[in-house]
Amino acid sequence: MQSGAVVRTVNLVKIYQTGGLPVPAVRGVDLEVADGEFVAIMGPSGSGKSTLIHMIGGLDTRTSGEIWLDGQRADTLSESGWAVLRREKVGFVFQFFNLVATMTVADNVELPALLGGASARQARERREYLLGELGLTERAEAAPAQLSGGEQQRVALARALANQPRLLLADEPTGNLDSRNGRDVLRLLRDIHEKGQTIIVVTHDAKVAGMADRVVMLLDGQIVDDGRSVRRTSSKRPGGAGDVIELRG
Amino acid sequence: MITMRGRQGSGNPARSRGAGVGAGRWVRADLRARRGEAFLTVLAVAGIVAALIVGATLLEDGTNPWRGLSARGHSAHVWIHTKDTPDVAALKALDGVSELAGPYRTAPATLADHGRKVPMALQEMSAALPAVGRPLLVDGRWLDPGHPEGVVVERTFANALNLRPGSPFTAVGLNGATHTLFVSGLAESGDQGFYPEWTPGLVWTLPETLMTVEPAPGRTESVTGLRLRDPDDTDLVVQRAVTTLGGQVQRVATWREVRASMALDNRLLGLLLALFGGVGLVAAALALANATGGRVLMQRRDLATLKSIGFTSRQITRMLMAEHVSLGVVGIVVGLIAGRTVAMVSGVPLSMGALLWIAAGTLLVVVVAVWLPAWRGGRTPPIPAATVGPPRGHLSRIARLALLVRLPPALVLGARDAFTRRVPALVTTVGLAVPMMMITIGLGCWATLDDFAKNPAKVGQAAALTVRAGDLTSDEARRRAEADPDVVVAYPGAELDALVPWQTRTVRTRALGTSADPYPFPVVEGRMFHERGEAVAGQGLLDLLNVRIGDRVRMTIGGTPLIVRIVGRVVEPEQDGEVLSFGTDSLAAKDSVPPQFYALVLRNGADPGQVRARLQGQALEVTQAVNPADRLSVIRVIIVALVVVLALIGLGNLLTASALSLRDHVRDLAVLKAMGLTPRQVAATLVTATGLLVAAGVLCGAAAGAVLSTGLIDLEGRGSGVGAGIGRAPTLAMLTVAVLVAIGSGLLVALIPARGAARAQVGVTRAV
Amino acid sequence: MRLHLLALLAKEPAHGYELKQALELTFGSAYPSPNIGQIYVTLGRLEKDGLIRAVDVEQSNRPNKKVYYLTAAGREALDAWVDEPTEGPRVRDEFFMKLILAPLTGIADRMTLINRQRRHYLGLMRDLTDLTEATDPANRPAMLLIEGAMLHLQADLDWLERCQEDLTP
Repeated sequence: MQSGAVVRTVNLVKIYQTGGLPVPAVRGVDLEVADGEFVAIMGPSGSGKSTLIHMIGGLDTRTSGEIWLDGQRADTLSESGWAVLRREKVGFVFQFFNLVATMTVADNVELPALLGGASARQARERREYLLGELGLTERAEAAPAQLSGGEQQRVALARALANQPRLLLADEPTGNLDSRNGRDVLRLLRDIHEKGQTIIVVTHDAKVAGMADRVVMLLDGQIVDDGRSVRRTSSKRPGGAGDVIELRG
Repeated sequence: MITMRGRQGSGNPARSRGAGVGAGRWVRADLRARRGEAFLTVLAVAGIVAALIVGATLLEDGTNPWRGLSARGHSAHVWIHTKDTPDVAALKALDGVSELAGPYRTAPATLADHGRKVPMALQEMSAALPAVGRPLLVDGRWLDPGHPEGVVVERTFANALNLRPGSPFTAVGLNGATHTLFVSGLAESGDQGFYPEWTPGLVWTLPETLMTVEPAPGRTESVTGLRLRDPDDTDLVVQRAVTTLGGQVQRVATWREVRASMALDNRLLGLLLALFGGVGLVAAALALANATGGRVLMQRRDLATLKSIGFTSRQITRMLMAEHVSLGVVGIVVGLIAGRTVAMVSGVPLSMGALLWIAAGTLLVVVVAVWLPAWRGGRTPPIPAATVGPPRGHLSRIARLALLVRLPPALVLGARDAFTRRVPALVTTVGLAVPMMMITIGLGCWATLDDFAKNPAKVGQAAALTVRAGDLTSDEARRRAEADPDVVVAYPGAELDALVPWQTRTVRTRALGTSADPYPFPVVEGRMFHERGEAVAGQGLLDLLNVRIGDRVRMTIGGTPLIVRIVGRVVEPEQDGEVLSFGTDSLAAKDSVPPQFYALVLRNGADPGQVRARLQGQALEVTQAVNPADRLSVIRVIIVALVVVLALIGLGNLLTASALSLRDHVRDLAVLKAMGLTPRQVAATLVTATGLLVAAGVLCGAAAGAVLSTGLIDLEGRGSGVGAGIGRAPTLAMLTVAVLVAIGSGLLVALIPARGAARAQVGVTRAV
Repeated sequence: MRLHLLALLAKEPAHGYELKQALELTFGSAYPSPNIGQIYVTLGRLEKDGLIRAVDVEQSNRPNKKVYYLTAAGREALDAWVDEPTEGPRVRDEFFMKLILAPLTGIADRMTLINRQRRHYLGLMRDLTDLTEATDPANRPAMLLIEGAMLHLQADLDWLERCQEDLTP
C-alpha cells in the first residue's frame, strides 16, 4: 500500500461535449489527499468542483488523466468495476440527501452493507450502531419524508459510512439545510474526522471550509490555491463572544 | 466501533446474495409505494390472459362443438362403411387402434313428414349405451327394449324437422312399407356431423326395429368405428384399414370431416382469432413497455442513487426485470384462473396444452416488453443530481414566423412542443397508431362480413334456397319451383363425395347447372368453366391436392372415374374450401340424372322465408342456405370486444405519455403562466401538443390499417382455404367516424390532466 | 456606551453598580466586560449634558449613592437614536486597498494576496465555530452575535471569490 495517499489524481481533465461546443470543466487537476485528512474544495459555480468530486467517486467518467484510489488505479475501471470499488471504498453524501423515499431509514442505511455482502443480521447491527452514533435510533422505522432536512442528511451520512469507506465524499452537504441543521451536520463531520475518516467536501459554506485541515480553491477548472487554513489562535482562549467580536457603536 | 473487516473475504456469492436482499427490499418498497399502478398492471395482464382463454374457448367450443362432444362421448376417430360385417379382429389388431365401436348395421330409409320425404339413415344400437362412440342424450329417453317403436333422433336432424320426444315418426323402408314409430329421445354425438351439412340425418334404433324397417340385408351397410390412441395417426390407420379390408370399404369418414361439418369456416374464424390474439398481445406488449418505461423514467433519481451506492447496471436491470416480470406473472396466474372460470361457464375447458401455450406466450410478451425499459433503467448515469430535466426545445424560425403572423400562441407553442422532443413524440404516436391500425383492420373484417351478408353471390350463395324432390319426380319439382313468382332460375345440382386415389379421404364435389348454363359461382381467379370436363375449385382443394389452375385432377365418384381440368378458383366457404365445382353434364349420367336437388335463385328483394313456406306447401322439401356471415357472427362480438380492449390500451398509452410530458412541462407551465397566458390558454397549449401527436398516430394507424386490411383478410382467407378475394377495407364513412371518435377521445383524455395542471399553482423556483 | 445606559435607565432608575449588573445580565458574554469606572465616567458626562439627573439617596453605614433618572431630553435623545437607522458595514475596506494597490506598486501578487486573506478568514470562521460550541445555547444575544459575524465573514469570502474570478484573466 502506498504511503497513505487515499486519493491521488494526476492531470485530471474533463471536457463535456454538449451539442457542438466542447466545454472543459476540469483542466488538469493534480490532487493528493492523505489518510485522515479533511479537505474542502471551494470555488465559484462553474469552477468544476462538483465534476471533480464526481470523477474521484467514479460517478462521472474522466476525459484524460489518472485517478488512484487507495493505491489502486481507478480511472481505467469499467462502470461495474467502479460500482464495486465504490461499494467498498467510497461513501457519498449529496446536497439533496438522495435517500430512497419509498424505503424506511433503516433500509436506506442497511442497503450499502447488504450490497457489500453482509448478512441481514450484520447489516442490521451496523445500522443500529450508526444510527445510535448519529442520534437517530428512534427514527429507524420512519420514512425519509417524515424527517427534517438535517435528520435526512444525517441518515445520508450514516448510509455513506455503512461500509466503513476509506473516503467520504460530500457535495455541498449543508447546501440545503438551515443554519441550525447545518451546524449539526458540521459537528458530525468533525466528529468522524477526529475518529480518523478521510473526508473531501465540496462546499461554498465557509463554516464547513473553516473546519477543514486543508482548503483547495478551484477556479475555472484549475487549482489556484491549496493549503492549510491559518488558525488565529492555537489554544482555546476563554472568553465570551463579546471579547472576540468588536461591537461598534 | 464494530469492525466489519472480516466480511471482506466473503467473496462473490455472499455479495450477490446481499445485493439480492437489498434489491428485494427496494422492489418491495417500490411496489408498496405504488400499489395502485401495480394493481392496474396485474389487472391488465390478467385481462389479456383471460381474454385469450375465453377467446380460445369460444373458438374451440362455440364454433366447434366437436371437441366437447367427442370428449364426452368417447367418439371414434374413423368410421368405416362396409357392405358386410368386417373382420373385427383384424381391425382391432391394427396398429394405433385402441378401441372399436360397433360394427353396427345401418340402413337408409325415408322419413315421411307432413307430406314430404326426408332421407335418413337408421343405425342400430343396443339399449345399453356403448363405451366408445356413445351418443349423448339431451332430451327424452334412450332406446328401451320394452318400447321397440321408440327411436332416438340426432339433435340437429330433429331440430331441422321440428321433432321432439313423443313426436310421431313415420319411417318408410326402401320396399315402400310404412312403419309408425315415435321419437323417444334426442341425442347428440361426436361421430355424426350436423344436419344438413352432414346428410343423411341419423336416427338410432334397436336392432330389431332396424330389421323390421329394412329386412333385406343386401340393402344394409355395416359401419364400424375405430378409436385411435393418437388422432394424428388417422391417415395412416385409414390406409391400413382400407388395405386390410380390401374392396369391402364403401366409405370412410374421419373425425376431421365430422369436426369440419360441425363447424364450417372454423379455419377462417380460427385464423382471424389468432390474428387478433397475436395483435392484442403485441398492443398489450406496447402498453406494458410504455407503462414500465414511464415508471422507470420517474424512478431515475432513485436508480441513480442506487448506482452511487454501488449497484452495477446489470444488477439494476435484473432488479427492474424482476419487479415488473413478477407483476406480469401474478397477472398471468390471476388471468388463468379467471379465464378458466369464465370459460367453464360457456363450455368445455381448454386443454392443458392450450392453456400452457397462452401462459407461455403471455410471459414471453411480458419479458420482451419489460426488457428494454429495464435495460435503459440500468444505464441511468449514477449522478442523481444530473437528472434535472429533459432538453428544452427552442423556438424555431417557423414558430417565430407563425407567432408573427398572429397565430394563437397556444397553437404555436403546442406544435413546437410536439416536434422538438422527437423520441417521446414518436413513442406516443406509435403507441396510438398500432391499436388504431388493429381497430381499422377489425373494421375491415366487419366490412367483409357485411359484404358477405349483402352480396351472398360473392361467397357462392347466389341461390338462397335448395329444393329436393322428395316424393315428386324431379321434373315436377322443378316445374313447381319455377312456377313460383319469386323464383328466377332453378339450377339442377348434385353433391357427391369423390375419392381421390392417393388421399385417404373423400372430397365434396358439387355439380350445379350445366357447363353451358352454369351456376354463378364467384370466380376470383382464372375463369368460369364453359365446357364439359372443366371445373372450378376452392382454395382448400387446390392446397389439398397440390394443384394449380390449369392442372387436371382425377377422382372417383362411386367407383366411376372423373377427370376434369381446373380452369378457375372460386371463393369457397364450405368444407374449408375443399370443394370442386362443375356442371352436371361433367358427371356420369348415373350420378347426375335425376338431379339431387335444385338450387333456386330468387328475385332481388324476395324473402327466402316466405318463398320457402310457399314451396313447402307444395310438398317440396326446401332448405335455406345459411350465409357464412351468420355463421361467423360470433366474430362481430369478438371484433367489438377487441376494439374496446385496443381502445383501452391506446388510451392507456396516451395517459402514460400525457403524465410524462406533463412532468416534463412543469417548468414550462410556470413560465407560460408568468408570460401571461390564462389557465385556459395554458391548457390549450398542453392539449395541442398531445392532440397533434394523437391526430398523427390515429391517422397513421387508420391509413396503415385500411391499406393492410384487404391484404391481411385475403391472407387469412387463403390460409383457411376459403380463398383470397374476400378481403374488404372498411368503408370511408366507417373510417371517418372511427378516426374522429379516436381523436376526440384522445383529446378528452389529454384534456383532463392538462386542465388540472393549468389550474394548479406551480412555483417556478421549486427544486425538481 | 452612552445610549446603552440611557436605554437601561428608561426602564427604571438605577445607580452605577446596578447598571453594570444590568449590562452583564442583559448581554451576558456578548458584551465586553463592563468596567465600573468607565460607567461612572459616562454617567457623569450624561449628567453634564442634561440627559440624566442624579438624586442622592441616603444609606446607613455607607456613603450616599447616586440614583440616576432619565430626563425629558434624555428621552428625546434615546428616541432619536432608536428611530435613526444605524450605519451599515464598512464602505472602505483595507484589504480592498491592498488588492488594488499591490500590483501597481509591485509589492505583492494579487492571487497570493487573495489566497492569504481567504485562509485568514477561514481561520476566523473556525474560531467562531469553536466559540459557538463553547457558548450556552440559551444565551440568545451571544448566539445571534456570533451568527451575524459568521454571515459577514461568509459574505467577505464570497466577495473574495468574486474578486478572484474577476481579477484573473
